[in-house]
Amino acid sequence: MSTKVVDLRSDTVTKPSEAMRAAMAGAVVDDDVLGTDPTAHRFEMEMARMLGKDAALFVPSGTMANLISVLVHCDSRGSEVILGHNSHIHIYENGGISTIGGVHPRTVTNNPDGTMDIDKIVAAIRNPDGALCYPTTRLICLENTHGNCGGKCLSVEYTDKVGEVAKNHGLQLHIDGARIFNASVALGVPVDRLVRAADSVSVCLSKGLGAPVGSVIVGSKAFIEKAKILRKTLGGGMRQVGVLCAAAHVAVRDTVGKLADDHRRAKVIAAGLSKIKHLTVDLTSVETNMVFFDTDPQISPGKLCQLLEQRNVLAMAVSSKSVRLVIHYQISDSDVQHVLTCMEEAVEEILSRNAKFEHLTNGATTDSYGN
Amino acid sequence: MSTKVVDLRSDTVTKPSEAMRAAMAAADVDDDVLGTDPTAHRFEAEMARMMGKEAALFVPSGTMANLISVLVHCDTRGSEVILGDNSHMHIYENGGMSTIGGIHPRTVSNNPDGTMDIDKIVAAIRHQGALYYPTTRLICLENTQGNCGGKCLSVEYTDKVGEVAKAHGLKLHIDGARIFNASVALGVPVDRLVRAADSVSVCLSKGLGAPVGSVIVGSKAFIQKAKIARKTLGGGMRQVGVLCAAAHVGVRDTVGKLADDHRRAKVLAVGLKKIKQLTVDLSSVETNMVYFDITDPQISPAKLCQVLEQRNVLAMPVSSKSVRLVIHYQISDSDVQHALTCIEEAVEEILSGNAKFEHLTNGATTNSYGN
Repeated sequence: MSTKVVDLRSDTVTKPSEAMRAAMAGAVVDDDVLGTDPTAHRFEMEMARMLGKDAALFVPSGTMANLISVLVHCDSRGSEVILGHNSHIHIYENGGISTIGGVHPRTVTNNPDGTMDIDKIVAAIRNPDGALCYPTTRLICLENTHGNCGGKCLSVEYTDKVGEVAKNHGLQLHIDGARIFNASVALGVPVDRLVRAADSVSVCLSKGLGAPVGSVIVGSKAFIEKAKILRKTLGGGMRQVGVLCAAAHVAVRDTVGKLADDHRRAKVIAAGLSKIKHLTVDLTSVETNMVFFDTDPQISPGKLCQLLEQRNVLAMAVSSKSVRLVIHYQISDSDVQHVLTCMEEAVEEILSRNAKFEHLTNGATTDSYGN
Repeated sequence: MSTKVVDLRSDTVTKPSEAMRAAMAAADVDDDVLGTDPTAHRFEAEMARMMGKEAALFVPSGTMANLISVLVHCDTRGSEVILGDNSHMHIYENGGMSTIGGIHPRTVSNNPDGTMDIDKIVAAIRHQGALYYPTTRLICLENTQGNCGGKCLSVEYTDKVGEVAKAHGLKLHIDGARIFNASVALGVPVDRLVRAADSVSVCLSKGLGAPVGSVIVGSKAFIQKAKIARKTLGGGMRQVGVLCAAAHVGVRDTVGKLADDHRRAKVLAVGLKKIKQLTVDLSSVETNMVYFDITDPQISPAKLCQVLEQRNVLAMPVSSKSVRLVIHYQISDSDVQHALTCIEEAVEEILSGNAKFEHLTNGATTNSYGN
């Protein structure tokens, strides 16, 4: 019996590789608040270059990356930002842009493919004539890949179009690109081209790329200068942060090239799941490293995940009838097969009503909660 | 000629030791947002125990530790905090409690010894229910008090402020970035020293030498809320055990060395006093900080620090006539002697008119800026 835990709750669970650990231990560091940590500096320059922007800033999390970006773009009181109703920023970041930043959100419906209709975006932009009772729209946010919609890719054409809308209306464009490399790989579009229309992008290192901690924000020099101050204000100014940047640099170097395999394995899992009675998968909806599947009414996602946990397979129940699996590079082909086997067994066990249900112990929840 | 840089700008410049690097590389980690990172969990439990509180939370910086603490204690709109007019929180944290947290500060004068007069604190507490007052909810102390020279607040004083807080239904937070320095200098166990406090922020990245981070300690209920505030601000890190491993080594290995830092600070102060153009108040050196004034108008702090930098000694000008030196465990006895020699030489060089002044390259500024 396999004692290895196959953790498909999220790509955030990736543990640092040997190469990352060695890089952390050997990192040349200095006080990044007092001056420059050379490893952080080198990494930030590399990320700026890769994403085709002027400058970059390392931050502890994607939440902070997005929060900083929104707050810098909307530094005047009375600002409003347009974003998807099902976006990570709106649903899973504690409403921080408002509770912390005083910025008002205006949501537009996310389509199943992760986009928002262009005409609906335009319609959501506040008319300056109404300034007496309207906040001022300053920013549009996109999310690529779009998590809640299933890890869907926004095309470069769509992104450019939204960029044009922003420009025509004097707005900025921010892309929550936590999984932007997944999008770039799946679309076959170089990542800098993909985000060219954006004024700022947040990119996670700690998800599929595998670093232990952190995200970067990229943007213009002026934007990043302000972002640095806001980072300090929020409490994200870390000292010898090169220890983390060293690992993140290894992640970008070593793992971007493995994302295509994650996508392939996601498709394999989806195909396998579609063969299991009482589970439903939309195979066309698997674009990157996420697989959402529905369960028939007699199988509750919570129970299914409990039984899987007993078999050392961790998954995320995301609603009363769906489960999410996220593939990352620490999931192998044989892990995928093992998961499918366990899934079949778990389904059978529920149906045969032999299942024993214990309290969830692995921290798995009934919602992916934006992880 | 010594090529080693003797960095006395702050104790934040401490670089991770070999033991810390090894601990980081080997740390047992997991996704601390999804569940528990075992290394973070173990470290937080240990810090709570050491500080005599129920629970602890690791955060990226002292700024975030203080911000979270204030936000959690003052989670109702219309709150006010009493704190020192020369406190780190009021001067060097971007006014975040207000700009980010919507909380109003009410300052009370800091005495040269770091305290605020008890009667002035009481006078600053708002009468309840007034139509035009915010509501006082919190008193903040800082121990050791940085801007006052690394001064220790006694346990008697701390207890007295705690009583005032209790009598008025207020909470007490201690910015204990350098609380271990205070504990060692006073000869008071750290848990006894902070017993009156509802929460304490403690830095690991300063004199204790860790690369990154602080902890907040407090009650279980407080820390639960702090965790959410941390996530909201963007401080929720994934495999954060890599940082906690180093921090744990910092606490284990370096607390015992703080007494030597204090001894070296006194040696440095005594040596500085012998230099004619400088003046030091020896009685004001209580922990690891030495402030000295320059009495000769031909010598400015900025010039002195520039010339010192040419000799690979880094110091921090803090005003138009004073300079600050901060001792940490990576400064040896011979480094102290070397610094004194260099300062003597620098003074002579400036007076003789031979000094060359270039743009400050080490990031040293004309203000310690709270580092």
